[in-house]
Amino acid sequence: MKAIILTGGKSSRMGTDKASLKIGGVTQLDRILSLIRPLTQKIYLSIAHPSLNQSGCDIQRSAHDLRPLADLEPSPGPLGGLQAAFNDDPRSPWLLIACDLPRLGQRDLKELMDHHDSQKDVTCFLNPLDNQPEPLCAIYSPSASAKLDKVIAVNQRCARRFLTSLDRIELTPSDPQAFLNMNRPEQLAELEHLDQYGAVEKTIRVEYFAKLSQEAGTESEDLRTSAATLAGLWDEVRLKHHFTLDLPHVKPALNNEFASWDTPLANEQIIAFMPPFAGG
Amino acid sequence: MFSIQDTPLDLSALRADMADPACGALVVFEGLVRNHHEGRNVTELRYTHHLILAQKEGERILAETMERFPITKAVAVHRIGTLDIGDCAVVTLTTSPHREAAFDANRFLIDSIKARVPIWKQESYTTGEVEWTSPCPNCGPIAH
Repeated sequence: MKAIILTGGKSSRMGTDKASLKIGGVTQLDRILSLIRPLTQKIYLSIAHPSLNQSGCDIQRSAHDLRPLADLEPSPGPLGGLQAAFNDDPRSPWLLIACDLPRLGQRDLKELMDHHDSQKDVTCFLNPLDNQPEPLCAIYSPSASAKLDKVIAVNQRCARRFLTSLDRIELTPSDPQAFLNMNRPEQLAELEHLDQYGAVEKTIRVEYFAKLSQEAGTESEDLRTSAATLAGLWDEVRLKHHFTLDLPHVKPALNNEFASWDTPLANEQIIAFMPPFAGG
Repeated sequence: MFSIQDTPLDLSALRADMADPACGALVVFEGLVRNHHEGRNVTELRYTHHLILAQKEGERILAETMERFPITKAVAVHRIGTLDIGDCAVVTLTTSPHREAAFDANRFLIDSIKARVPIWKQESYTTGEVEWTSPCPNCGPIAH
């Protein structure tokens, strides 16, 4: 098996590239490499098409002595990494993996490898938070290559849609938070907290108001959660209830007082999630 | 005084409570239920709130209003529950010796209530649809 790591370039919401973001002092690229290296030595770094100048990735690549695989076109999306991988070696199964999976553990990645079966197009995980298959931590068999060419030919770029079109093996990770990622600074605070103190189970009463209570189908619920901060809890319930609002449009309160997203959670607190106010 | 009630607002009683011989100005703003929202015909509104936090935040806004403007008194009352077209949903009253401060304070008070107090409205339309509405972009600052 070979592995190709997606570094994703600069994240507009995080204001930096995720590969070099540090949690607990370790960059995301270093962390993901430490998980992959015991499983395979054939590790490649997905890089932008040569027409795009992304010097940051060059620095990382040279520091880690990884072989680069350039996208075959300027803006192919995450499937471009897989396309470049199969273009380089169409006979190998490829682990396609994002660099920003700070809670993914060695044990789960090894499970993925152990369960891989080349008779199936892909071996992947279901994200326990929303029960959806994860396209960017999956092993794609050579049989997926021709199917990938077809979807790219019709300009279909959604990685999850591609994944769900394949014949696949789905695994459940041992850690429900395995696929937490970081698209916002508030999620980074959650991950820093989890890294520092570990995942601690607690019981939280969550209250929903207005549109959120309508979408959740309830005004309140008691949850067992390992989320560390209000932002982590929000991500959990957002995925659980398929909320149509996201963090910038929601205000949290802790024990009946407004609170910031990075506030740590403690057992038996009451957390309220509130959509934009509309009084008057 | 900030309060939230589920019964019609008694405007004449609220006005009478503002009486002060040293004040030459009383500004009253009434927020009324309109029959349209973003091009759709509205038949009724239902307001809900966060019981504890709405009260706390309303009181904080009143205290800030008193602190920021040279006014004598400020009162705000918001109604919740189901309201018909034309009903008064919120009233803000401010008094001061001269009109400028009462006007400015009233504007600050109602804008802050709309932006910061956890109250929501669900609109029913003539089509039979019912929706939680987003703050109207014409109604001033949006909280978050």
